[in-house]
Amino acid sequence: MRIPRATLALLFFFAGTAVFFSVSAPRFATATNVENLMSGFSFVAILAMGQAFPILVRGIDLSIGAIVAVVGMVVFDLTLIFHVPGYLILPMALLTGILAGAVNGMLVVFLRLQPFIATLATLAAYRGLVYSISGRQLVEGLTTTAITDRWIVGIETYYDIGGWTGISQFMQMPWFPLSFFLMLGVFVVLQTVLLATRFGRDLRAVGGNHEAARLAGINTGGIVISAYATSGLCAAIAALIMVARFTTSTEALGTGMELTAIAAAVIGGVSFAGGIGSMFGPVVGAFLLGIVLLGLTLQGVEQFVQQIITGAILLAAVSYDRILVVRRRRRLAADLVAAS
Amino acid sequence: MEPVIRGTDLTKVYGNLTALGEATFAVEAGEVRGLVGSNGAGKSTLVKILTGAVTPTLGTVEITGHAAPLGDPRGMILRGVACIYQHSNLAPSMSVLDNIFLGRQPTRGLGLVDTSRMRAEARALLERHQIDLDLDATVSALPTVKQKEVEILKALALDARVIIMDEPTGWLSSVEVAKLHETVRALKKRGVAVIYISHVLDEIFAVCDTVTIMRDGRIISESPVKDVNRSQVVHLMVGEKLARESERAAHEKRHPRGTGEIRLKADKLTKHGVFEDVSFELYAGEILCITGLIGSKRTEMVRTLFGSDRFDAGTLEVDGQAVTFSSPTQAISKGVGFVPEDRHREGLMLDMTMTENLAMATLHRFRRGVILSRRSMVESGRRAIENLSIRPPDGTRPVKLLSGGNQQKVLVGKWMSRTPRIFILDEPTVGVDVGAKAEIYAILRRERDRGAAILVVSSDLEEVATIADRIGVMVAGRLTAMHDGDSAPMDEIVAEIGGAD
Repeated sequence: MRIPRATLALLFFFAGTAVFFSVSAPRFATATNVENLMSGFSFVAILAMGQAFPILVRGIDLSIGAIVAVVGMVVFDLTLIFHVPGYLILPMALLTGILAGAVNGMLVVFLRLQPFIATLATLAAYRGLVYSISGRQLVEGLTTTAITDRWIVGIETYYDIGGWTGISQFMQMPWFPLSFFLMLGVFVVLQTVLLATRFGRDLRAVGGNHEAARLAGINTGGIVISAYATSGLCAAIAALIMVARFTTSTEALGTGMELTAIAAAVIGGVSFAGGIGSMFGPVVGAFLLGIVLLGLTLQGVEQFVQQIITGAILLAAVSYDRILVVRRRRRLAADLVAAS
Repeated sequence: MEPVIRGTDLTKVYGNLTALGEATFAVEAGEVRGLVGSNGAGKSTLVKILTGAVTPTLGTVEITGHAAPLGDPRGMILRGVACIYQHSNLAPSMSVLDNIFLGRQPTRGLGLVDTSRMRAEARALLERHQIDLDLDATVSALPTVKQKEVEILKALALDARVIIMDEPTGWLSSVEVAKLHETVRALKKRGVAVIYISHVLDEIFAVCDTVTIMRDGRIISESPVKDVNRSQVVHLMVGEKLARESERAAHEKRHPRGTGEIRLKADKLTKHGVFEDVSFELYAGEILCITGLIGSKRTEMVRTLFGSDRFDAGTLEVDGQAVTFSSPTQAISKGVGFVPEDRHREGLMLDMTMTENLAMATLHRFRRGVILSRRSMVESGRRAIENLSIRPPDGTRPVKLLSGGNQQKVLVGKWMSRTPRIFILDEPTVGVDVGAKAEIYAILRRERDRGAAILVVSSDLEEVATIADRIGVMVAGRLTAMHDGDSAPMDEIVAEIGGAD
């Protein structure tokens, strides 16, 4: 297995940033901070992995923040108004995410809308839906009622792995949040789907050359819809993690998350050219954004400055990607000449 | 004998345009069928119907006597119809192996791809057809000729009964073409029916058993290759009028060194590692053709003449004055015009109209204060369209809707409106049909007779023989020979191109 150069560069940059903050930021290299990183950015990584799917088929999903809110509303209403047991709510929540994503995909495939336009429209529509019909708005008193169903709030559980294994005797270990393991699970499943299954190859083929894929007999419409559905599913998982943490859901849940997720995916080397990237990049990209934000906060850097720095990292990642592309083109031209 | 594939009364209508009219077409096992016709004759439409990429308005397709589904690419693949398209049909970011099995990778339960089986099958295939390819290489990292091999392998892997090759040799060198033809003959032996589409008639005569000729959306002739000759085929393809024109062109008088005035002089031009010591003179009133294999650095060399790339050593003189162009703008101001090889990527604004494209190089002429005068642009566009006989003569039509030949005429016309003193064209007729070719040649001759110095880079020897006043040969970055066009020994030139001493 050849490790792409871009992946190595990303890991190198990640390690460098971690070292930089460990040295320069107070209390950065502590168990508490690592715990904050894991609990605060695992769901970002999940969103970024989901986002990678539309991008892999040359699309984009701007609506994931709004899907998070829709799923949050469904969970909130089902448990607090209809008192549906948690083990039933979980699959329904995931299904809601998948459906919301599939609608995006269908708009792109059947109405042939630009993905940017289609998901910009659903971003507004889904969010508006939540504001207009959520039980939190319509039923009095619910705003202050906490969700208590163990199946839901249980997602916000921490495991003292250092204590169980005895490592804590030698060094201070963070407690691991369940969301971190959920993230790992999503990673393993999606990475396998993408790299080792027919569906994954078809998906990359559609992203790489849509017409070639169609003429090879691939059901390109189905693939594109599935890609958006996957994004919706990931948004639902992220929504569950967030609702569990806050023990409630609000209409504004997930606002702006799409931008963070897209940034993480792009920093992770998922290319808008389509067909290029894996699940590894978005995960590293999400945690890279995480350590930068946490590190800057610990250094006392203002939030607006943090945003400037985040933007700069995004630009750097994209420029690096471009440089690789241009170099590859040049090399190709040279090879072409050498071959004949 | 039962034909492997048979299309009956195939018709495709787009709005008012009948792209294909009642075409009935059958190919037998082990037959190599040539399919020729001008651009817009309906070849592509016919092929697209056979591959399922397009649904016909009327008609049926049968494969070994059974009705096949229409407009269903997957259904046609499953029935053994494969196509090697003119434009790359690979997923560039994926490996060779994945591309060979695109859309039909073998799986073991759960949809997991069976990589080892895929690899074993691909290896066997490589062995059987003696093709050398790195299965793990990423397609985008392969040179074009290798990418073509991947496409061929993809078709072979289907174990196809019918393989359609749409202009398969467009970007291949002559060695590669010969190799491809061997593959075609091997396929024929194994009983595969091959439909071979090409503008290069030599290839049709070299490899096909029978030839179908199309014109204006209809099949107008079908016969064994041995029963027809070249000029009959050309006549049928282009109709009487254009055939006469192209014949007349072959007997044109040559003007080596034109008026005797040196317009452009290259002396020991060198770009390290690319080309070396290239020296020649280009005279006013002549057409100098530089030929050679793909990769002999002709394109790279002429790009430096236009300031699109830099040369490292040597001198370049225009009208006796030493120049170094650091950008095309400077070259243009000295009266140099350049038609690049890839008209889609480098030459035309595909979504803009013909009028707009034609005016592109001369916008300053239509300026009225700060705005452009629409009317004078349309008027000058109309004149250009007439001069170049672009069809349809509708200036408001987006360029992407024109046939390849007409697109090329727009591109040539764009420069002509500047009346360039030095006109450089890189492969001006690749993918252009016979009729449009003759017209482009006529345009070039007209410019030459007006006194322009014209430099044409071409791999097509037919073209070189038809229009060149002088012929230069480039081999591996060196200009190795220069001949006068009227007395050029073509067989010698062929040997020189191959690098013989």
